[in-house]
Amino acid sequence: MLTIPTLNAVPPRDARERVVLVLGNPNVGKTTLINALAGTNMTVGNWSGVTVEKREAKVYFAGKAIHLTDLPGAYSLSPNTPEELITRTALLEAAPDLILNVLDAGNLERNLYLTLQALEFGLPMVIALNLMDEAADKGMTVNAAALSQAIGIPVIPMVASSGRGVKDLLRFMAEPPAPTQTRPTYPLALESAAHQLEAAAQAFEKLLPHTRRYVALNLLEGDASLRSKLTITGHGALVAQSDGLTQALASTNLEPLLELAEVRYSEANRIARLAIPSFEHRRTLTERIDRWALHPYLGIPLFLLSMLLVFRLTFSVGAPFVNFIGGPLQETLSGWAAALLQPLPSVFGALVNGALIPGVGTVLAFVPTLLILYLAMSFLEDSGYMARAAFLMDRTMRSVGLDGKAFIPMILGFGCNVPAVYATRTLENPKARLITTMILPFMSCSARLPVYVIFSAALFGSAGSTVVWAMYVLGTSVALLFAAVLSTRIKGVQDIPGVLELPPYRLPSASVMWKHGVNRTRSFVRRAGTTIATTVAVVWLTLSIPVSTGQGFATVAPRDSLFGEISSALAPVFAPAGFDTWQATGALIPAFVAKEVAISTLGQIYLGEQASSPAPLTALEGLTRLGNGLLEALRGAGASLLEVFAPPSLNADPSSERGNPLTAALSKAFSPAAGLAYLVFVLLYTPCIATVGAIANEQGRRIAWITVGYQLLTAWLLAVLTFQIFRHLL
Amino acid sequence: MLFVGTSLASVPLGHSATVEGIDRRHPLRKRLLELGFVPGARVTLVRAAPMGDPLELIAGGTHFALRRKDLELIFVEYTEGAA
Ligand SMILES: Nc1nc2c(ncn2[C@@H]2O[C@H](COP(=O)(O)OP(=O)(O)OP(=O)(O)O)[C@@H](O)[C@H]2O)c(=O)[nH]1
Ligand SMILES: [Mg+2]
Repeated sequence: MLTIPTLNAVPPRDARERVVLVLGNPNVGKTTLINALAGTNMTVGNWSGVTVEKREAKVYFAGKAIHLTDLPGAYSLSPNTPEELITRTALLEAAPDLILNVLDAGNLERNLYLTLQALEFGLPMVIALNLMDEAADKGMTVNAAALSQAIGIPVIPMVASSGRGVKDLLRFMAEPPAPTQTRPTYPLALESAAHQLEAAAQAFEKLLPHTRRYVALNLLEGDASLRSKLTITGHGALVAQSDGLTQALASTNLEPLLELAEVRYSEANRIARLAIPSFEHRRTLTERIDRWALHPYLGIPLFLLSMLLVFRLTFSVGAPFVNFIGGPLQETLSGWAAALLQPLPSVFGALVNGALIPGVGTVLAFVPTLLILYLAMSFLEDSGYMARAAFLMDRTMRSVGLDGKAFIPMILGFGCNVPAVYATRTLENPKARLITTMILPFMSCSARLPVYVIFSAALFGSAGSTVVWAMYVLGTSVALLFAAVLSTRIKGVQDIPGVLELPPYRLPSASVMWKHGVNRTRSFVRRAGTTIATTVAVVWLTLSIPVSTGQGFATVAPRDSLFGEISSALAPVFAPAGFDTWQATGALIPAFVAKEVAISTLGQIYLGEQASSPAPLTALEGLTRLGNGLLEALRGAGASLLEVFAPPSLNADPSSERGNPLTAALSKAFSPAAGLAYLVFVLLYTPCIATVGAIANEQGRRIAWITVGYQLLTAWLLAVLTFQIFRHLL
Repeated sequence: MLFVGTSLASVPLGHSATVEGIDRRHPLRKRLLELGFVPGARVTLVRAAPMGDPLELIAGGTHFALRRKDLELIFVEYTEGAA
C-alpha cells in the first residue's frame, strides 16, 4: 500500500486492518453504535456533546481487524468549538479506509448537510441510518433504498440502542465500497475558484490528495482555524491565494459561505424528500412533556424540586448501608483479619486493622449511596432533560456572564469534576470555557458526599438531609458568584452566543443506566483500592513515626507522631472556624489527593486506636453478624424511602442510633457549628489532584494554580463565616 | 446584505415564518447557516423560557434554543395570522 506523507505521517497499514472514522451530528448515536459493534462501554448520553475526544474501539470481522474511531459530534466540518476541531483534524490527518456517517433518520435534512460536506473528500463512505424507531414515532417512513440511490452509497437502517441492523455494517467495513462521484454543484464562479485552489494544493505534498477539494472549499468559506493551521504548517501561499480569490468573488457579490450553505441545504432537502415522500406529523411525547418541563413558571421549581429529591434519596436510602458497612461489616472483617494475622508480627495487624480497614472501609461504606447518585445522574443524562436544564437556567446563567450551555458541565460536576472540566469543550466561547472551568470545582462532586453524609448523621440528626442539600446549594451559589466576578474581570465573554439543541426525550434503557451507574461506582471502588489505600498507608506511616525520641514505631500515640505534629502546627489556622483540633486539620491535608480521603483519615485517627486489637472472630460468628446487620440496613433503607418525600424537619434529634462508629466519634469531637464549618471548608477547598490536572490540561498550569489558590482562600473565609454565624444558633 | 424584511424577533410565539437571510453582523451567522437557517427555510417559534428568554424554536424538525437578541438579525417573511 502506498503511504503518503501528511501533516502527521500516517503509519503504513496492514492489508488485514481497516480504519473507520465514525462521523455524524451530535447526539445521533455514534457512540451507542460503536458500543454495540465492539462491545465497548464508552459514555453515551442524550444531549449534544457527550463525546469530546477521539476514542478507539476494535472489532474483528472476516479476518480483518477493524479500528473504529469515535469522534465528537459535529454539525459541520468547519469547526466552531474545540470538539468539532478534533473531528476535523481527524479527517484531515487520517487516511481512513471508510467514513461511517451516522444519521438521525428523523432529522435527515440537517444531518445530510454534514454528509454532503464529507462527500467532498471522495473517500469510501457508508451511511448508518440510525434512530429509525424515533423517526417512526414522529410519523415518518424513511426509505433507505431511495436514500442510497440518491447519494450513491450504501445506507443501512438501524436502531443502535437495541442493536437492530448494526451488524449489517460489518461487511462494508471489511470491504469498503467504491467512493461515489455524487457531489453538490456550486455556482460556476465558486467552482472555478475551488479548482484553482485544488490545483495549487498539488504543490504541497503534505496535504493528502483527497483533502484538497475540502481544503479549497473551506478556505474560500473563510474557515479561520483551517487558515491558521495551514499558515503555521507552511501553506501560507495557499491561504494567500484563497484570500485573493475570495476578494474577487466578493466583488461580484458572491459570498462563498452563504452559497455553499444554500446549495448544500437545497440538495439535502431534495434528497430528504426522495427518502421521505410524505409524512404525517404526530404530536410527540416530547412536546407533551415539555409543556410542563419547560413551563414559564413551573419549569424552574420543578427542576429544583427534582434535584432536591435526588439528593435526599441518596442520603436517606444510602445512610443505613453506611451504618452497615461501617459497623457490622467492618467489625467482622477486622475480626477475621485479626484471626488470620495472629501468627504474624503485630505491625501487620496494626496496618490492616488500624489503617486499611477503617480507612478504606469507611470510604467503601458509601458505595450504595454513590450508586444511587450515579443512577440518578444517568437518568438525567440519558433522558434528554440535561439540555432542558440548560434552557431553563440560561437567563440565570446570563446574569453571571455565562450561558445555559455552561450549566451542563456544572451539573456533570455533581458526579465528578474531571469529566465536567472536559465537557467545557462544547462551549463556543473561549472565555466562557475558561470561567466555567475555574468555577467548576465548587460544584460538589460525589467524593464530597461521604463527608457530608457522615457529619450530618453525626451532628444533625433528622435535619441531616437538609444539611446535605444545603451544601449542594452553597457550592452552586458560590460557583455562580465567582462566575459573576470573573466575567467582569475577563473581557469578551458575552460576544459569542451559543446555539443549544433540545433533543427529543428518550426513555433511558435500564441496561444503559445500570451500566453507567455501575461503571462509575466501579471506578470509585477502584480508586478506594488504589489511590485511597495508598494515601491511607502513607498516613498510617506518618502516624506511626514518632517525632520525639523514646517512642517506638507504630506504638507512638497519634498526637505525638509526625502526622500529629504537622497537623497540630497547622491547626491554629482554623481556630476562627471552630475546628482547630489536630485531627480535623490533619484529615484535610491528605484530602488534597481526593476529598473522600478526609473521611478515611478521620476513620484512621478516631477508630484506628480502638480497632487495632479487635477480638478475633470465627467464620460463623462473622456471618451471623453480617446477616443481622444487612437485614437492619435493608429495613432502614425501606423506611427512609418515605422520608424522602416528607417535608424537611429541623429539630435535630441526636438519637442514640447504633450506627457507624465514626459517626459516634465525630459527634463527640465536633460541635454542630464547627461541623458545619468543616463541611463548608471541605466543599469549597481545592478539588482533588485529578481535577487540578484536568484544569491544567485544558487551561494551562497558571490557571490551575490560580484556581487552587482562590479556592483555599474562599473555603477558609466561608468556613469562618459559617462558624461565627452558627455558633450562637446551633 | 441588508434586509428590509421582518425580524424573527417580532414573530409572535406559536407562529411560523420563512427565512430570508441573516445579517452579516450576526455573530452566529455561520453556525445558523450550517444548522439550516438558509433562505427559504421554515422556522416556528415554540415558547419562551422562564423570564422570557431564550426562545425555543423549530427549524428543519430540530428544536433549538436561541436568545431573543440573536433573533433580531435574522430576517423573515411573515404574514400576520399565519400560525
Ligand atoms: N431510541 C433510540 N435511541 C437511541 C438510538 N441510538 C442511540 N440512542 C440514544 O441516543 C442518545 C445519544 O447517543 P450517543 O451514542 O451518546 O450519541 P453520540 O452521537 O455519540 O453523541 P455525541 O457524542 O454527543 O456526539 C443516547 O441516549 C442513546 O441511548 C436509537 O437507535 N434509538
Ligand atoms: Mg458520542
